[in-house]
Amino acid sequence: MPNLPKLPKPFSEKPPPGPFQREFWKSPLRGPWLTSFLGSALLPLVIICALTGFLSHVAYYPDLGDNSITGSGRIGFDLYFFDFPTNPAWLYAFTQGLHIISGLAAIPILLAKLWSAMPKFFEWPPVRSPAHMLDRLSLALLVGGSLFVFFTGVLNIQLWYPWGFSFVPAHYYGAFVFLAALGLHLLAKISVARRAFREEGVVKPLRADVRHTEPEPYDENTTAPYAPSAPTMSRRGLLGVVGAGSLGLTLMAVGQVVGGPFRSLALLSPRGRGFGSGPNEFQVNRTALEAAIKPATTTSTWRLKLEGGGVPVEFSREELLEMTQHTESLPIACVEGWSTTQDWTGVRLKDLAALAGIEGDAEVTVQSLQEGGTFNQATLSDSQVADERSLLALQVNGADLSLDHGFPARVIAPAVPGVHCTKWVSSMTFSGVDA
Amino acid sequence: MALFRSRYGEGPLHLLAAIASFAIATYAFLEIADGTAPLNFAIWFVAAIVLHDMLAFPFYSILGVIVGETLRDPPAASARPSALNYVRVPALLSAFFFIVWFPVILGFSDAEVVESTGLDTDPFLERWLLLTGAMFAISAVLYAVKLRGGLRSRRARR
Repeated sequence: MPNLPKLPKPFSEKPPPGPFQREFWKSPLRGPWLTSFLGSALLPLVIICALTGFLSHVAYYPDLGDNSITGSGRIGFDLYFFDFPTNPAWLYAFTQGLHIISGLAAIPILLAKLWSAMPKFFEWPPVRSPAHMLDRLSLALLVGGSLFVFFTGVLNIQLWYPWGFSFVPAHYYGAFVFLAALGLHLLAKISVARRAFREEGVVKPLRADVRHTEPEPYDENTTAPYAPSAPTMSRRGLLGVVGAGSLGLTLMAVGQVVGGPFRSLALLSPRGRGFGSGPNEFQVNRTALEAAIKPATTTSTWRLKLEGGGVPVEFSREELLEMTQHTESLPIACVEGWSTTQDWTGVRLKDLAALAGIEGDAEVTVQSLQEGGTFNQATLSDSQVADERSLLALQVNGADLSLDHGFPARVIAPAVPGVHCTKWVSSMTFSGVDA
Repeated sequence: MALFRSRYGEGPLHLLAAIASFAIATYAFLEIADGTAPLNFAIWFVAAIVLHDMLAFPFYSILGVIVGETLRDPPAASARPSALNYVRVPALLSAFFFIVWFPVILGFSDAEVVESTGLDTDPFLERWLLLTGAMFAISAVLYAVKLRGGLRSRRARR
């Protein structure tokens, strides 16, 4: 190896006071084993959450019509590899439920992991080498990215939008930042976790009660404490509390996904409240008031306009009710991770496609009476239209739809995200697809 | 290779992975910069780190130290079990639930929730308080049982 000139050291050897001092960090529980254990618990949840998140994106069929909501107007990158199936009908309720369940369950573990790794944020010297500088920069993206992605999600399911950006692209591209940083983090830390598990045993530290809890051996490169105080809680105690928090949040999320008698488990979720017991008494995503639906437009003057091959045709609600009616039990499954299954009655979409003059496979763009908003229209794929369970529903649970549930008519289709089940339908434009 | 390692600080695989990682992250930032309110995105991204590392972490650490010092293990002679974890556990669980559900607990999104769902956020503060109360109550009962057990064993020793 050639003789290299010494590089200048930009930082003093002596760390500043406070958290930069190794004596500052007292917890006897911190160390590579604890961080690795928390990381190993967190990783599968993050993977499930990320995969189901991208699956949700696929379920929106971003390549059809104006469905893409991540595009910034310029290019936008839609991770989109296949057509989301319509079977089983609860598929989207399941994948999106998993998204919210895994996301909420991860939060206590994420916070505990940040706590366990905190001394790393006060490393001294702050930069040791170019690689170290990149690692630390990436760590900022990892911490910022994880908190950003998890908490924008958490605020979205509670309908609180204190920011100015639009949620979907921010959450979606924020996930890119988070996952990119996570990849680099894993590459660097897998060996650390392996060593910790080899030296301490994977579960062995869990066996010790408070009195037998020993700090992990001090090493200046790890978070193991230099001057630990006496333990007041065992590692299994700490992990137990974190796990209990995670379990509690899981139950709340499960409650709003499964619904029915389990909905009351979602104690703190705005989707955990029951309505009454009538046919129309179930969760509403957007009320007619919020959608600014003028009641006058839904009365006897309302007509459904069908466009397709030839001359547009119009039908009154009575005429639609005279057509062959079908009843299907289908869930409304919201991107916010709640769902509710009801019995819907109406006309098959494929029958309407035929009435519009389309033979064979067709996509449809459904327009709502709602005048503004991202989801006042949606395009359904040919497979979604062709599915016999896809309806233009006129009734639910044997009664006419209420205004909040989309009177005079709404779309309901299997494994389709709730916002694509357009309410207050005013027109449907079918277009043939070459088989 | 040794030269690379001594100058860069890691092997070449690290550099390749780092370039890939930062390229993807930069792409995502550019995509967001093209959307609505990119500056707000940047502010919230940085704020997430600042809020956690500079505010939340010191806050709960100091709180932990205060609680720890107040409820520190009593001298061995008294043989009374420490109440510390009987306070810490329900407090932590209550905090986890609060951190996730604070917008509806504090009614920050009440108007939006009413407009969207037709229901309000009124019950959530009460529900969270009841949940917190129940957890502390269970903890208190467990501590009482433990205290009695300690007393009995001391009496038995006498």
